[in-house]
Amino acid sequence: MTNRLKVLRAMRGWSQQDLADRLKVSRQSVNAIETGKYDPSLPLAFRIAETFGMAIEAIFLQDVDAPQS
Amino acid sequence: MSSAWKANPAYRRYMRRFVPATAIYLLFIALATWLIPDNAAISIVSVGISLLPGLAILVWIWAMARLLIELDDEYLRMLEIRKFLVATGLTLSICSVWGVLELFVPVPALPAFMVFPMWCVGLAAGSLYNRLTVGDAGSCAL
Repeated sequence: MTNRLKVLRAMRGWSQQDLADRLKVSRQSVNAIETGKYDPSLPLAFRIAETFGMAIEAIFLQDVDAPQS
Repeated sequence: MSSAWKANPAYRRYMRRFVPATAIYLLFIALATWLIPDNAAISIVSVGISLLPGLAILVWIWAMARLLIELDDEYLRMLEIRKFLVATGLTLSICSVWGVLELFVPVPALPAFMVFPMWCVGLAAGSLYNRLTVGDAGSCAL
């Protein structure tokens, strides 16, 4: 699942550690979510959305498979 | 060692449980070696002393279980669980295959006390698996 975490974080001038502290998770977790290696659980996704003041759908973009020809 | 190891209180609690248990294990092993002569007959005393190191091993296992329960970071918990799964799969596979081999071929018997150390080595394999698949080995606390 792609997400706009890195962009949103940069817009606010936060480091990965800053965001990790706000979410009460590790910097590794933030990095893993940003790079798409890990999809957060629903509670964590809600916390992320609340931290940025945005809807979950505005941050996390569901990957859509290309139509088969 | 990852920064999560330093920052997460669950890892620090784990080490506060693991290190004393390790010291106790080594103490009891030394005690058993000193007090129980080779070829000692089975007695309440020899069995009782022999079981003492096992108590420390039970504390290790309990500490690992508590780590999984207390680790509130879901990503780090996922990494540790993946390590546990790899270690368990490898240990079960090796012990099962070797056990069947022992039934039919005169190979040396696998000592039962080696199972837990084997599982612990499997955690290193789990870390490697995490590194190769997720790009993150996780904590080296375990």
